[in-house]
Amino acid sequence: MEISQIQLDALREIGNIGSGHAATALSALLQRRIDMSVPEVWAVPFENVESVIGQLDTPQAVVYVKVEGDAHGKAVFFFPLESAEILVQALFGTDQQMDLFADEMVQSALKEVGNIMVSSFLMALTSFSGIPLQPSVPALAVDMAGAILDAILLEDGSLDDSVLFIDTQLSGIPQIEGQFIFLPNEGSLKKLLGALGV
Amino acid sequence: MSNVITVGMADYKTSKTPDILMTAGLGSCIGICIHDPVEKVGGMAHIMLPSSNGNPGANQAKYADTAIELLIQDILRLGAHKIRLRAKIAGGAQMFSFPGKTNVLKIGDRNAEAVEAELKRFGIPLLVTDVGGSFGRTIHFDVGTGDLKVRTINHGEKVI
Repeated sequence: MEISQIQLDALREIGNIGSGHAATALSALLQRRIDMSVPEVWAVPFENVESVIGQLDTPQAVVYVKVEGDAHGKAVFFFPLESAEILVQALFGTDQQMDLFADEMVQSALKEVGNIMVSSFLMALTSFSGIPLQPSVPALAVDMAGAILDAILLEDGSLDDSVLFIDTQLSGIPQIEGQFIFLPNEGSLKKLLGALGV
Repeated sequence: MSNVITVGMADYKTSKTPDILMTAGLGSCIGICIHDPVEKVGGMAHIMLPSSNGNPGANQAKYADTAIELLIQDILRLGAHKIRLRAKIAGGAQMFSFPGKTNVLKIGDRNAEAVEAELKRFGIPLLVTDVGGSFGRTIHFDVGTGDLKVRTINHGEKVI
């Protein structure tokens, strides 16, 4: 579908309010200041997803939550490995090294972080749009960012020619970086924009 | 001088020796590498889904059932002989496992099956595959020698 300038602004506002709540939730969880960028809205053809998530084979810890309810979509957090480690260390109150690839405690902590952030994002979106939205059980993968993103995009077994990303960068003090991406599916995009009257 | 040519998602490229074709971060997608070892030309496609269901839309490189034909045509245009073409493939992983989901619908496996069927349809021998698992792959294909280097984060690196 074609997206007008007003609709783009509305999507950016959705990103702004939702991601703001998610960042606040993360900040409360870690007791640290978390900053976020002004969200960008991108409609990107597949050949260019690198421009959104960076190098496709950089290892990252990625939490993926499906959005269900009256509208459907996908919420994805990308954390560079060092940031994911700092996050878990802050949660556990330790500075021990963390095994992101194999330690189940570490992995479930990361999933929980994703869960809390997506829940806050969706609550904000629901009260803003009036559309009931729920998060599914979070999934985690620690691997090449592009490989994980393609699996997420392809999960339903079908695709449009481009992907609409609502993209927010998160940064915390000290040294936590992350990226939050919300991908509404096409039907949900219409519903969300409709609910906002654009 | 050999160039490294990047193939994006839902993209395909061809070239001749000594160039290297590369695609980064294959998850459930598949990298299909085809070359003619005598003419030393070849190509790589990065497909995302098994079938276009007769409606590929703007980008035919996205689907196994449309991309491979395009790739072969372009390699032949560089002077390759169809009878000498041979293939190697990598990718088709399952990056996430959701409890309660059956294996029937794994997109990586379906991609691999579709690619193998399509290569068979064109009579191109598939020399070696590195598919499946639950990890991403970055691949480099030497169109002259046919060497395919597969790099992973936690599962080593090999040349097949």
